[in-house]
Amino acid sequence: MELPDTYYSKDEYVETASGNKVSRHTVLCGSQNIVLNGKVIVQSGAIIRGDLANVRAGRYCVISKDSVIRPPYKQFSKGIAFFPMHIGDHVFIGEGAVVSAATIGSCVYIGKNAIIGRRCTLKDCCVIEDGAVLPPETTVSSYMRYTKKGTIEGGQGNPYFVPAAMQEEMINYTKSFYEHFVRTPAPAS
Amino acid sequence: MPQDNSKVKVMPKAVVCEESKLRGDITFSSGCVVHPSATVIAEAGPIIIGENCIVEEYATIAHRLAPGEEYDDNNILSIGTQNVFEVGCNVEAARIGDKNVFESKCFVGKGVSVSNGCVVGAGIKMIARQHLPENTVVYGEQALQREAIDKQGSQTLQIDFLRKVLPNYHHLRKPNYDPKKARSVV
Repeated sequence: MELPDTYYSKDEYVETASGNKVSRHTVLCGSQNIVLNGKVIVQSGAIIRGDLANVRAGRYCVISKDSVIRPPYKQFSKGIAFFPMHIGDHVFIGEGAVVSAATIGSCVYIGKNAIIGRRCTLKDCCVIEDGAVLPPETTVSSYMRYTKKGTIEGGQGNPYFVPAAMQEEMINYTKSFYEHFVRTPAPAS
Repeated sequence: MPQDNSKVKVMPKAVVCEESKLRGDITFSSGCVVHPSATVIAEAGPIIIGENCIVEEYATIAHRLAPGEEYDDNNILSIGTQNVFEVGCNVEAARIGDKNVFESKCFVGKGVSVSNGCVVGAGIKMIARQHLPENTVVYGEQALQREAIDKQGSQTLQIDFLRKVLPNYHHLRKPNYDPKKARSVV
């Protein structure tokens, strides 16, 4: 599936040497603790809280508008600690999602306005539906779909919920999203 | 950022990030933690936020005008102590007591009055005029309500941590109101 081109204005996005495209209208707190492994798109209004703990995102991730990436915390008997957060490759995070997972595998799709509670674990190739709410410390295994109703459906060999070719589809989708996220061409004069 | 800074009062020991959007007459008591990009709007009257409250990113606390109402200095929205407003919540409640938790992306409308120790779950919308008795938990997809069995853990540890960490990374609003000094003038 080929995606249509999405255009951004030259003034709004910064492109780094490793191909990350980061909007200027994001709030990247503690940027020295944020590692974007290349070809990551961070759209306007997104917040990444690197000040609380390290955040690492793999290649070809898409962090959409107004989403919040916030490392999880755990309360101990004396004091609390924020844990570093790892995001795999080819992960799509939808608009307005709130993510405080501990780890996110590769090829994961997180829908719009989903809420991922504290210290959740999302394994490779799982799908979180739009508007789903994951309670803290939930684990979603590979090839599972967390629905808006709050149920976990699917499983390996059950293609009704997560396509069997989820890995290839996410790779294609995020790559094509990256390649079609282009700068507005200069007006022909 | 053009905003009306003159009416925002920050007590000593409150940590209020500069990137937050504050409008109108707002008082942050000591020990409050306000994360960047939080929004507090005092439209209908002053807002006083009690001690040790946490306001996270994209949280909105609003004291909105009802139709036909005008700004009134005596119409104070007083928020109790040790409340937590998590990421993306939108709270317009008429009254908020102590030790409540508003989880991510919940909406609490103007007609709701929240007492003490309540938890409003993630993504829940409360619009109807109602009163939440003490220790109510609103949870699940159907927004069921019940009474909590045990008390909410306190947030002091998190506040202590944030108070240590946030000044390292953010520009903070300077405390501009000292109750002790104000008293000595009188």
